[in-house]
Amino acid sequence: MDSHDRLLAAFLAGDLDPAEARRCDEHLLECEPCWRAVREDRAGRQAAQVLRQPAPPGLADRVAFAVEVAATARTAAQRQPCPPARSRWRGRPGRRLHRRLAGAGMLAVGVAVTLTMTLLLGGHQTGSVPAAVAAVARYAQAIPPPGRDQQSYPAGRGAPVEVGRPVTVTAGGQPIVLRTWRLGRTEAVVAVSDHPFPMPADAQGVPGRGMAWTAQVGTLALYCVNGSTSELVAAPVPAAELAALAARLPLA
Amino acid sequence: MGADHRAFLDATIPYLDVVWQVARQAAGEGQDPEDLVQETYLRAYAGFGSYRGGNPRAWLAAICLNVARSQARRRRRRPWEVPSPALPDVLPWSRADGGQGTADVADVVIAGLAAEEVARCLALLPEPQRECIMLVDVAGYTAREAAEALGCPRGTVLARVHRGRRRLAQLLAEAGVSHGQP
Repeated sequence: MDSHDRLLAAFLAGDLDPAEARRCDEHLLECEPCWRAVREDRAGRQAAQVLRQPAPPGLADRVAFAVEVAATARTAAQRQPCPPARSRWRGRPGRRLHRRLAGAGMLAVGVAVTLTMTLLLGGHQTGSVPAAVAAVARYAQAIPPPGRDQQSYPAGRGAPVEVGRPVTVTAGGQPIVLRTWRLGRTEAVVAVSDHPFPMPADAQGVPGRGMAWTAQVGTLALYCVNGSTSELVAAPVPAAELAALAARLPLA
Repeated sequence: MGADHRAFLDATIPYLDVVWQVARQAAGEGQDPEDLVQETYLRAYAGFGSYRGGNPRAWLAAICLNVARSQARRRRRRPWEVPSPALPDVLPWSRADGGQGTADVADVVIAGLAAEEVARCLALLPEPQRECIMLVDVAGYTAREAAEALGCPRGTVLARVHRGRRRLAQLLAEAGVSHGQP
């Protein structure tokens, strides 16, 4: 880029003082190549602006949820005593995690949430609840309860209504798609994954349902059916009612 | 968990839209821009403790570009392949009220074709020019913010933007697509 072009670029950026800008204006009236350069600059700018798009709805929720899961995992990793095999990480896990990642060159290849979660957790467990299950439970807990004036769907015959948009996260190395459904005044989260959801320590197997299990996490009841596609339902209802609720949701 | 991640989100979520613009253009072939945005925020969150202020838009853009480049290196693919957007993705900007607008079908189709052609021509520019145009013209960064994100002088950004715009306009003219000709 020669000095002429630099002057034009400065002119177009509004960097010139008034006297210089006036001289440039006068020059443009007489110089066809410079005037063409200005027209091309404007046309190129307008063309590039065609590529602008608003962020997809739900992306902010997805990002916030991923950060929240990472924060939960970080806190869990800081609170949990390090197992003997990882004793070299004791003390300052965050810094050493980072050092290890950098040393391995893995952070530089765009660590997926999967890897982030796995390393931050130092395994796949958050207390007695596996990371993937904990992520679903956390998401379900974050859903605000329906307001009093919110429309109620008759519990007996109403069809489930999807609330919001699906959110995709990865936790414990497991990609999960989360959908929220409203049935009557109750909202339930249905998590779908190609990998089975591990059973929490205090989960109960469901007789006759193969790999199905139920569990309670805080105020949430969980109901999981593992298979080629695994589904985990989480809702703030008594555990005994969840299977009936799940039967009315659009599960596979 | 607690205040730190909420403070991080409060400080960075307002810039999600510009990070999205950067991610869409920076995402390599086969790379989901939404995944890139999420990875950018997770990487930023991991480094938030050592973040010393400054311009968060530029900070997030720099992280997003680094993630895109790293993943492109890993895949051994060109990092700045601009994906051809599907037609629904190139509809005119949605209105602030979330309405769908009443765009004429022909206008929508033309806008879609034009955006596809612009993306194709933009992908032909040298990487430094593409980066600067993507940041300044597509994502709406100031030249100073783009310079901070790219780690180069502001004048360099202005020069690259100018050259890139001219080349883009020439390529589009050769392809028979007109944009804002006075």
